[in-house]
Amino acid sequence: MKKFTTLCLSLLMMVAITGFAFAAGQQEEGEMAASGNDNLAASLAVDSTVLKAADGQQLIKLEGVGRTVPPRPADPSALPETDPLHWWDMEFAGEITNKTNIPESPADGAIGKNVTMIVHGDHPWTTACTNGAQKVADAYSMNLKIQSPNWDLAVQNQMIDQAINERPDMILLIPLDAKTALQQARKINKAGIPLILFNTLPEAKAMDYAISWTGPDDFGQSRKLAKAWADELGMKGGVAFVQHNPGTSPYFARCFGPISTLAEYAPDIEVLDMQSPGFDAAKTLQLVSDWITRFGDDLTGIYVADDSSHALGVAEALAKAGREDIIVVGAGNSKVGMDLIKDGGIFAITYQTAEGDGALAVQTSADWFNGLDVPAIRNIPQHIITPADVDSFYPPQW
Amino acid sequence: MLKKNNNNQKMLKLIDKNRIYFIFLFVFLFMSLFAPRFLNVFNLTTVTKTMAMNATVAIGFTMIFIIGQLDLSIGTIITFSAVIGLSMKEYIGFGGSVPLAIVAGGLIGLINGLLVTKAKISSFIVTLGMMTVLTGVIYTMTGGNSVSLSSDDAFAVSDFLGDMIFPFITPRVLIAIIMVIAFSLFLNRTRTGRNFYMVGGNKQTAWLAGINTDKYTIITFVISGTMAGVGGVLYAMESAAAPLNLGTSSLMYIISATIIGGTAMSGGKGGVFKTFVAILMLEVLYNGIILFGLGNEVKIFIAGFILAAVVMNEAIVAYKHEKIFGQRPELIKELKQVQN
Repeated sequence: MKKFTTLCLSLLMMVAITGFAFAAGQQEEGEMAASGNDNLAASLAVDSTVLKAADGQQLIKLEGVGRTVPPRPADPSALPETDPLHWWDMEFAGEITNKTNIPESPADGAIGKNVTMIVHGDHPWTTACTNGAQKVADAYSMNLKIQSPNWDLAVQNQMIDQAINERPDMILLIPLDAKTALQQARKINKAGIPLILFNTLPEAKAMDYAISWTGPDDFGQSRKLAKAWADELGMKGGVAFVQHNPGTSPYFARCFGPISTLAEYAPDIEVLDMQSPGFDAAKTLQLVSDWITRFGDDLTGIYVADDSSHALGVAEALAKAGREDIIVVGAGNSKVGMDLIKDGGIFAITYQTAEGDGALAVQTSADWFNGLDVPAIRNIPQHIITPADVDSFYPPQW
Repeated sequence: MLKKNNNNQKMLKLIDKNRIYFIFLFVFLFMSLFAPRFLNVFNLTTVTKTMAMNATVAIGFTMIFIIGQLDLSIGTIITFSAVIGLSMKEYIGFGGSVPLAIVAGGLIGLINGLLVTKAKISSFIVTLGMMTVLTGVIYTMTGGNSVSLSSDDAFAVSDFLGDMIFPFITPRVLIAIIMVIAFSLFLNRTRTGRNFYMVGGNKQTAWLAGINTDKYTIITFVISGTMAGVGGVLYAMESAAAPLNLGTSSLMYIISATIIGGTAMSGGKGGVFKTFVAILMLEVLYNGIILFGLGNEVKIFIAGFILAAVVMNEAIVAYKHEKIFGQRPELIKELKQVQN
């Protein structure tokens, strides 16, 4: 009985302590909301263009990165898939927006601002991306809090709720799922917290609730790569595509982007097949071996959606079959891809700076805090890496 | 002296039986005192909202454990029901699509149950197969794309389900709590409910006592599928989206929570309410870890550590139980004589 009473008393004490802590927590919430500062002049004086990525390239490049947006056709889906304008809604998502409830910029400088960055998951690319983000945050003395849900949507939603609870000055988000991004963006917007989406394209309507979207122009760089590839192929031949995972935006951009470009730029190049084996080098090897058997000498080029696992599988299959004459190009910017360029396994890859991706999101938030004009879409620079200049991109970012 | 030892043992048994409440209180108190900005209404509502889906699904899964079976298809049923609930809304409205999504979950449970009882296939194999088949069906239905809604009425429903009606409680959380209480009372306070424990504890004895064990097994699988459907479709309605990996992480999470809550995999022991508290404890823990700014690896490590500690405790209890028999061989001898 005595022990039972002691147990009950202990529990009561726990509840009482919790009550006091609760009161303290609520008080802290009130105090946090009142903070603010004025540092516009010092913040505008920061020059982030001098920052370098791990590969020695300029971390942030805003000049000459813009793209030309053609007028939207009345019904893009009515056009054939080989027409570049068929993909207008996907390629130029966010160019036509109906911005809703976007907060006014405080125009009081970026220094000391609290920014929460929620990424998609743990990956070497993400590490490089957040390294770049941190470099810009340090330049502006911003407090950058980085969170990773490790590819779990429920956890990402929880992190968004917690970020709203913490009331940062800005949330930067890589949406885990393009469709769910709409409700995530709407929720953050409803809470009155400025939002910048980056890296992964969300559903177009989600852009209405964000100040801006920053990241790679996947269609644009895929089209650029397709032209370099066609030149190397001599504007003729038969090609096949190793695709990204179905349903994702790179699945379309890195396959139908090049296909629609080739249809206009090099109409004599025939598309033989396209398959999605997942990010698995062994499955890619099997797929390419089957293609070599099936198409023989008609197969003269392969486009991979990923320059690491896909490219490894392709290189091994070609070496085994003695078909090094097949010209391979790929999307991405990994160490594997660049090493394969040096070894002759790949002809060209897209330059897609991971550090620059994270850095651009933070830079855009700093510009907004500084009261500068922020465009609805901001892209990282495009470039095609070939054997001629691959050395200047070492050491790789990831 | 002997009386004192008995009292100590009784106290230890009491603590062990209710260990999940003590673990929860400890974790909650720790986070309250040390995790920054943990104790405020908004954050605690985030905790309850996050646990709502898994708490609903875990009701059926705990019953599956109680009858000594396994259901690996719950994660896929969550996604399947969510996809049906949203994609059919355009044609029949939420009034038709939501019941349809829940019934679909129940039907999958019925197929699982029939295969386990009538075809005598292990529940592990049946539900593993169902998980694979259903994944294929979902990808075929959606073409690999998540489903989402962006109409004003869908947003209105989403806001309603996500807004607080009482401190810490949103309608979706309230539905989960009501169902947990209802199933808890049903399992513990009714004869039919207690029969589920009997089926899991000793199927032969249950059969000898006149309980139709196949019927109870099928009903449990139907409940498991239905609860997964309810959890999935309500989550999708609040998010206005049904991503194709929605239920992927739920399976391992719910298995862990059910074991931590004290439900035995071997069947016949455990409870829905304890699983609920275990889920709440895990959410408080995960929430606190995020507030501390720690990485995902810390979260996995701590959750794994708690699970390992609980399993270890179970093993020690079982070992001590065996040891008692070992120390009293005359009892076993006597028992054998009686049986002969």
